[in-house]
Amino acid sequence: MRKAKIIWRKVPVISFAILFVFAVIFIIPLIWIFLSAFKVDMEINQAGGFLFFPKTWTLRNFAEILNPNNKQLPVYHWFTNSIIVSGSHTILAVIIYGMSAYAYAKMNFKGRDAIFLTMLFLSSFPAITNIIPLYKVMLNLKWLNTPLALIVPGLSGVFNIFLIRQFLYGIPDSVIESAKIDGAGEARIFFKIIIPLARPVLIAVGLFCFTGNWNDFVWPSIAINNLDRLTLTAGLQLAKGVYGVQVARMSTVAVVAVVPMIILYTFTQKYFINSISLTAGLKG
Amino acid sequence: MSERALTRKSGKFSITPYLFILPHVILFIVFFLYPLCYGTYASFTKWNLFNEPVWVGLENYKTILFNKESTFYRQFWNGLGNTVEFVLLCVPFQIIIPLILAIAITQKPAGHRLFQSIFYLPNMFSITAVTLTWLFIFNRSLGLWNHLLGMDVNWYGEQPYAWICLVIITLWWCIGTNLIIYIAAINGVDQSMLEAAEIDGATKFQRFIYVIIPSIKFPLTYTLVASVIQQFNIYGQPLIVTGGGPKESTFVLLMYIRNLAFGTGNPIAGTSSAMATCLGLVIGIVSVIQLTLLRKQNT
Repeated sequence: MRKAKIIWRKVPVISFAILFVFAVIFIIPLIWIFLSAFKVDMEINQAGGFLFFPKTWTLRNFAEILNPNNKQLPVYHWFTNSIIVSGSHTILAVIIYGMSAYAYAKMNFKGRDAIFLTMLFLSSFPAITNIIPLYKVMLNLKWLNTPLALIVPGLSGVFNIFLIRQFLYGIPDSVIESAKIDGAGEARIFFKIIIPLARPVLIAVGLFCFTGNWNDFVWPSIAINNLDRLTLTAGLQLAKGVYGVQVARMSTVAVVAVVPMIILYTFTQKYFINSISLTAGLKG
Repeated sequence: MSERALTRKSGKFSITPYLFILPHVILFIVFFLYPLCYGTYASFTKWNLFNEPVWVGLENYKTILFNKESTFYRQFWNGLGNTVEFVLLCVPFQIIIPLILAIAITQKPAGHRLFQSIFYLPNMFSITAVTLTWLFIFNRSLGLWNHLLGMDVNWYGEQPYAWICLVIITLWWCIGTNLIIYIAAINGVDQSMLEAAEIDGATKFQRFIYVIIPSIKFPLTYTLVASVIQQFNIYGQPLIVTGGGPKESTFVLLMYIRNLAFGTGNPIAGTSSAMATCLGLVIGIVSVIQLTLLRKQNT
């Protein structure tokens, strides 16, 4: 009797009901685009513009949109560009931020805290004004229309260094000292000791950098004006102009846009969820 | 303390630390600090992006703030008004909905982890992916929503429906972050306080108001102001979904700023920079309010 009561208290029916309703609302748009991507536009039109389930299931929309010879929406090229751009950005970010964070956390030098705190303070200024002069900088460097314009400017962030620095404070100095006694130089210590030890935070920062860069939408559409050189995120906004109200084709484009992130999320969820609590200052 | 011990051993001045921070410091100066300063400077000039800017003092600011005859004046105030309207419409829900969901999830019903994953997922998407996903949900004749409910509402073309759509799309995209923060915060609430309240006969609702809310004040303030700043930067949703319509009623400030500098005509980068600086100032003021509030609650 008592046991049953406890179990009952552990099944919060109202909570479940609320969550269930919201979850359905959250998932419907995704189900809708996934279903629509397999429809035939002609059949949607014949049905008066609305079909919930596909009449004929087809992969033709995917074949058309992902075709490397698609000239209007070169999704295939955009995808490759995005992988190269976001991948290079992430690798560089992790190394450069990691190096800086190591120096700020574990080395002693004149102006260390002054330099870091000044940068952290300045970086909190809203950067809305930056994009116009940044365009000018790209123009002068002749980086417009090249991947460099998409890879490099984003490496100027400070907050990620802050996150890594906080984590590195937790590594005992004795580890570094004993490596020094063994004759290891700072570069060697950084690559052989710091990077492996800081793996959790570096993965989190890397994932933030990757998704942030992959999802950037404003800057690539300003810095790149050659259709073939766009990124997936910036390029796909042109789909509306090409396919207009062809529901099946547009839904296929939407599926192409969401799938890479769904895959990434499936494998890396816990890093995202842990690092959000970290950024809000709830832990550590 | 221990860091000091480290250098005492190495003793002399070393260039190594500077080499470690140099790459980032250079990147920071070239791609953040210089553009920040130049953008502020440009707001006091006439500039077409390609020639040298010509100093005009406060003229751009006078135009956008006070010159009622000017289109820039109309654009600035319309854009700022629409942006503020969006912030006011969106942010309350961006706090309340994740708070309710977080409370439900922390009761740990069946599948609570799965629910959490579902609610966070849209956060991963780009604004392009989000808007494309929703584009046909609210379409008048082709859309799911009108068909399911048997309505004939012109969602994107009439107010207040256009705002409702943009708010729903934004909430779908954004609530995940606040949700995760609230879940972590509620899980951190002192259990003995909750039990004491329960023994004293407090209902669930009372426990929520008098125990949980005060204990998570800090994350609440943080998310409130972070959300406000985030939504002041609204750009992609109206650009792709409503195109700023109907009648420019969802044309937000960043759209005007972008159009003036990188639109089809001759770039008007000076005025555009002045608008951006004003928006930056508004956001900056909100940030200062945030810091003051956070400090008050910490003491």
